[in-house]
Amino acid sequence: MPPILEIRNVTKTWMRERTGETVLALDGIDLTVVRGEFLILLGPSGCGKSTLLQIVGDLEHPSSGAFTFTGQAGGRKPTTMVFQEYALFPWRTVLDNIAFGPEMRGVVRQERYESARRYIQLVHLDGFENRYPHELSGGMKQRVALARALNNDPDMVLFDEPLAALDAQTRRVLQNELVRIWQATGKTFIYVTHSLDEAILLGDRVVVMTARPGRIKEIVLLAMHRPRALTRPAEVQALERLENLLKEEVTRALAEEESDARHE
Amino acid sequence: MPATSERTAPQTTSPATAPRTVSGITKVPPRRRWRPNWIKIVSSLGILVAWEVVVRAGQISPLILPSPLSLIETMWAMVISGLLFKHVGISLYRFAVGFLLGSALGIVLGLLAGSIRWVGDLIDPWVAALYPIPKSALFPLFMMWFGLGDRSKIVTIFTGVIFLVLVNTVTGVKGINPVLLKAAKDLGANRFQLFRKVILPGALPNVFTGLRLGAGIGLILLFITEIEATKAGLGFLLWESYQLMQVKQGFVAVVTFGILGVLATWALQAFERVVCPYR
Repeated sequence: MPPILEIRNVTKTWMRERTGETVLALDGIDLTVVRGEFLILLGPSGCGKSTLLQIVGDLEHPSSGAFTFTGQAGGRKPTTMVFQEYALFPWRTVLDNIAFGPEMRGVVRQERYESARRYIQLVHLDGFENRYPHELSGGMKQRVALARALNNDPDMVLFDEPLAALDAQTRRVLQNELVRIWQATGKTFIYVTHSLDEAILLGDRVVVMTARPGRIKEIVLLAMHRPRALTRPAEVQALERLENLLKEEVTRALAEEESDARHE
Repeated sequence: MPATSERTAPQTTSPATAPRTVSGITKVPPRRRWRPNWIKIVSSLGILVAWEVVVRAGQISPLILPSPLSLIETMWAMVISGLLFKHVGISLYRFAVGFLLGSALGIVLGLLAGSIRWVGDLIDPWVAALYPIPKSALFPLFMMWFGLGDRSKIVTIFTGVIFLVLVNTVTGVKGINPVLLKAAKDLGANRFQLFRKVILPGALPNVFTGLRLGAGIGLILLFITEIEATKAGLGFLLWESYQLMQVKQGFVAVVTFGILGVLATWALQAFERVVCPYR
């Protein structure tokens, strides 16, 4: 499979404003993303997985290192982000939210509505075109955000813990929906989560990251067929493996948080 | 709309049944029918009736407190003679020009000051210095600078309105959720589009707060500036009534001020419903 994105030796440092000390958030990240894959970034909180995603999405700059996209058309931005907080424009209807990307590019109204309606169908929101975000439940809002990202027609959709704010049932339904939509669109998905279940249910590959400074600890290939079920032996085995990889890092991350809190 | 959100919830948890549920919800919820609030009606009519009775019973001299019915009579006579409209028309002109210029400039400066750091830094000291000054205190200065005519009155109203609109617009811009700006940039918005499609609509609710407050201050300043150096306008009418001890005419002027205030509020509410239908 051809690569779509190559990340070479990317690092990111922060400056702590209060103390002036620099913090190494990401350290020497090397990663090749394959076109069309569902890639999971998994790690304890504070490991820099969201930062890495923001760097790929051009919402943050790396302190050093490089990343290159291959084969994107027309010089347009190759990625679009789906945020945990939905980030829907409250003054726009569902339809106008979804049509936002094409509208910025100057696509005429009829055309951008047409494509928006296709994605409304894809995410099962038919009949809600003229609703405003505050009239929707959290799960529906995230469907709108997903449709909006897809309607921007990126090569790659970036997800920053998109389901973390939802209740367990809604989350499970949307996990299945994400797989269906990923299969239907053929886009590359990069998905940040701290949930082991989610990684197992969704990913082709899981990039397990270390506690700060964030490094790639191991890349786990998930070859189980879809739809997946957490109760099947292969899934249980994968879960155990990820859990073992992550356990150490979570402990380290907690210890670090504690020492940070003591210093401040 | 609690009933709607309750029914939409199952939709996300069972996409298989979505179309059926959806078709049930898309119907526009029935508008709540207007029902008269009898307590309010009795309360407001009661005050007027009590007022009328007290005056008629000779408890209070009509020279000090004219009865409501006699006031309606006086008002009607002033409407028929065209006197009231003449004064209202002139006042409305002064108010409208001052209010429109003040709010237009207040919105533009507020949007810029709220979203561009150096513009904010440029404007901040001026706002901090001038905002706390009662704008009525500037009227004598403005009369010296701009003459006794309409211009000094309009400028006074303008200064009263612009600061309230500006300050509230800045608050609105600063209150926009940063993730919305991030998302808009991520979806390809350029600087101008960010301004036009995110910052402006995001600040609008606060802009309207500023406009409402500005309209209130504007009416107060209208009255104050019409006391002096004019022979027309509602404020003049009211002040002249006092000097001639024309209590009825003064009351009519006060009531008309009240009506203008209510109309201004209604007009702004209607405008807000058109511009911010999502609220």
